[in-house]
Amino acid sequence: MRLLRNIGAFGLAAYTLLFFAFIYLPIALIVVYSFNADPVNMMRWSGFTIDWYKKILGFKAVVSETALYIESIDQLFRAVKNSLTVAAMTTTIATILGTATALAVYRFNFLGKKFYRVLMFTPLLMPDIVLGIALLIFFVSIGITPGITTIVIGQCTFLISYVFIVVSARLAGMDRTLENASAYLGAGEWTTFRRIVLPQVMPGVIGGALLAFIISMDDLVITYFISGVGSQTLPLFIFGMLRRGIKPEVNVIAVMMLTFSFAIASLGLYLRTRQR
Amino acid sequence: MSALTRTQRLSAQLGILIGPASLFLAVFFICPLAIMAIYSVLAPGTYGGVVWDFYPHNFGRILGFADPDFEIYDPVYFSIFLRSLKIALITVLLTLLVCYPAAFQVSRLPERWKAFGLFLITLPFFASLIVRLFIWVLILKKTGFINVALMDMGIIAAPLELIYTDGAIILGMVYIFIPFMFLPVYASVEKLDWSLVRASQDLGANGIQTFFRIILPLTLPGIVGGSIIVFIPALGNFIVPAVLGGAKVLMLGNLIEQQFLSARNWPFGSALAMLVMASVLLLLYLYIRFEARRGDEAPAIR
Repeated sequence: MRLLRNIGAFGLAAYTLLFFAFIYLPIALIVVYSFNADPVNMMRWSGFTIDWYKKILGFKAVVSETALYIESIDQLFRAVKNSLTVAAMTTTIATILGTATALAVYRFNFLGKKFYRVLMFTPLLMPDIVLGIALLIFFVSIGITPGITTIVIGQCTFLISYVFIVVSARLAGMDRTLENASAYLGAGEWTTFRRIVLPQVMPGVIGGALLAFIISMDDLVITYFISGVGSQTLPLFIFGMLRRGIKPEVNVIAVMMLTFSFAIASLGLYLRTRQR
Repeated sequence: MSALTRTQRLSAQLGILIGPASLFLAVFFICPLAIMAIYSVLAPGTYGGVVWDFYPHNFGRILGFADPDFEIYDPVYFSIFLRSLKIALITVLLTLLVCYPAAFQVSRLPERWKAFGLFLITLPFFASLIVRLFIWVLILKKTGFINVALMDMGIIAAPLELIYTDGAIILGMVYIFIPFMFLPVYASVEKLDWSLVRASQDLGANGIQTFFRIILPLTLPGIVGGSIIVFIPALGNFIVPAVLGGAKVLMLGNLIEQQFLSARNWPFGSALAMLVMASVLLLLYLYIRFEARRGDEAPAIR
């Protein structure tokens, strides 16, 4: 019986290792093969090179015709720039609106508050494609040409909810007695808000902003339907390249994006654990 | 001091706080969905666009009452709907099977390792979705990692058809949805009261009985929650089929995309989207009912 249980425990541990391998081996694989020298088949190892990285970063002119794969480095850089522009704007808007709403729901009792909470959740439960085409129909019928503005608006519809949820969670764990104490000691409402509430809620706001930024940088489905000519974002650029056939440079872009998002996510999670 | 009463001042504050977000969501979230709902019952124009007539046959084309003037009912759309439903359900089931045992192991790790395990599971959620799918293209395609490796080792002579299949779509979806399933399931598993499990064993129940009558009912909330969170994006997904499914395998998401970007039949596309939305809302309604019932009868052990 005991032996059986040990075998079971061992099996479960082995399974869990496999589980993590399933998540991370593919990622490791793409990192390794982004250094593969073979220009024709990226997945047949034929030597180590950092040429693809040099090319992407602009350190090396493209010499041979066969190596000229990526349509245009310019296009890639424009996509990165678009993504950063959109993410900066959406993060700002969503953070302000989401935080304000969370504060309102926390502080005030008003008619339809329950309904309002549900309303704030619905954008997250709406399938991406439904929201994407609804926005497409909307923008076309009121005559707004798709572009950066429409992408920012479209992404904000669900990013506000993300910020709302993160900030609300933070507010729910807050100590209300401090607020009362501050008021009791004669601080005005504004002072109490600035000196007591704001410092406590700030980690939630930063966390929400970080989440909004990452999700905005990564959004594909909704952006796909409401982006116009010249407003291609980075995920759209990669999606387009995948549909046309994969070249070694995509590998490098992929690895760089993974590194970037892992770094931001690690930072966010690290900050969160430190606060406890 | 200002002449405003306290109530007036408070409602002004409230208005400033929730006004902008409410207006934003009313205009850019509710309004678009309402317009889409209206579009779904309008007639398609000859060259794209819509004709402002009531036209229920957009739904009819899917559900069996197609416009008698134009076409006879073709069940192809309904079968695409069923296919998407099937693929989404298989995805949910597989994601659950993959995550459930691992959740138990992680929940029993020492505190520091537990935090690290959770970190490792959350991390991919922050990595670009398209990049994570792209990795599987490199692994599965004809000249991809698996085929090259197997052929170099001489195990197979010709490359296997791995990509552009239902299996590839399901694999891709399971891969990207693992964090969605793991976290709710883990939350339930973590709370599991092991003294009940030991009691069940002391009272002579075997492993299978203990699992089905104690462990499963107690972790059911996490299982149901995780399943819903995975099912919603899986049903209307169009990125995964577009990247890993090729042209042959059509799912609802691709069909909707086609109606908007190439076929230019927006009312029909809207009707399909309404169908996706209706399925999701139905599911959420059932979930709320489930949660409410669970709240009534205290512990769910039979």
